Amino acid sequence: MILDLHTHSVKSDDGRAKVANYGQWIRKKEIPIDGFVLTEHRQFDAESDYSDLARKHGLIILKGSEVETEYGHVLVFGVTPALQQAFDFSDIRLPLARVLEACEEHGAVAAPCHPGRTRVGMCAHVDELGVPPGVRMVETLNGGSRGSEDQAAQALAEQQGYKGFGGSDSHIVSHVGRCATRFPGPIASESELVEALRALDFEALSWKAPS
Amino acid sequence: MTRGFDDVEFGEDLPELRPDTSVANVTLFTKAAGMFTGRFTDHEAARKQGLPGAIVPGIMSQAIFAAMIHRWAPEAELQTIDTVFRAPVIVDQPHRVTGVVTDMDDETRSVEIDLTLQNEAGETRVLGTATVRLP
Repeated sequence: MILDLHTHSVKSDDGRAKVANYGQWIRKKEIPIDGFVLTEHRQFDAESDYSDLARKHGLIILKGSEVETEYGHVLVFGVTPALQQAFDFSDIRLPLARVLEACEEHGAVAAPCHPGRTRVGMCAHVDELGVPPGVRMVETLNGGSRGSEDQAAQALAEQQGYKGFGGSDSHIVSHVGRCATRFPGPIASESELVEALRALDFEALSWKAPS
Repeated sequence: MTRGFDDVEFGEDLPELRPDTSVANVTLFTKAAGMFTGRFTDHEAARKQGLPGAIVPGIMSQAIFAAMIHRWAPEAELQTIDTVFRAPVIVDQPHRVTGVVTDMDDETRSVEIDLTLQNEAGETRVLGTATVRLP
């Protein structure tokens, strides 16, 4: 199963894509993914129910979040009401250690995204802050990153023994599925996604034009 | 040619545009817009302000998007252009602008277009969406 683990909709302040159009686009353009995860900035969208859309397009549509830490941006998968109480998703300087710990405690997964980007990526902060304990995976292929930024992410993953995953980081409809992650088995829910990520058995994929 | 709503399909690509982002053309734009600052027209002045070079004004990038849309559908009524500026668009460097129809509303006969402005390395500098009403 192939999932785009990093997408944004109009629910994010800089997102311009409607979820319905993601589904329509994936089918019209035969994008080779089975679904996607909505990771809205600094929030968890608990209210939206995309199950009808998912059925209509035959796609898996899951929800997560993208939070901000002193090490840059971090994707959170498997958000529960209890996890939402554990830290303030809207805080732009969350301690990464706190996010990792809370995710571990509440059955979720936290994973730094686009680590090769300046300011918002982990690589830029490792020299100053040291290598953070507890990170097991990072986004090594990001649809919005430059080639050199993905290379930096891959070098970090290799040095630190992190597993790499992929996500498009799409903010507009036509960018969905540029990068994604292949899992060996089916995934139909957030909890199954967490289980699959924790197994560390996946592969990052990219359909980006080389830059 | 008149391009009406019924001529358009979801997923349709607009013809790509290679905009003129030369310092001469940007200077013409800034004069017309009354934007008298070196950061748009003088690479050295822009570098002194910490920029990598002279930059194309944001409203010129939006105008370039509008030009692409009107070349595709001259009678289109451009209702909104909503842009996210990801990185500076550097003057005198080649760029390409693309658009694709990603939503259609039969009732209002309007379409939404994804917009992207990339540099030669394929890096997205500006992205966004436009809402366009067609005859």
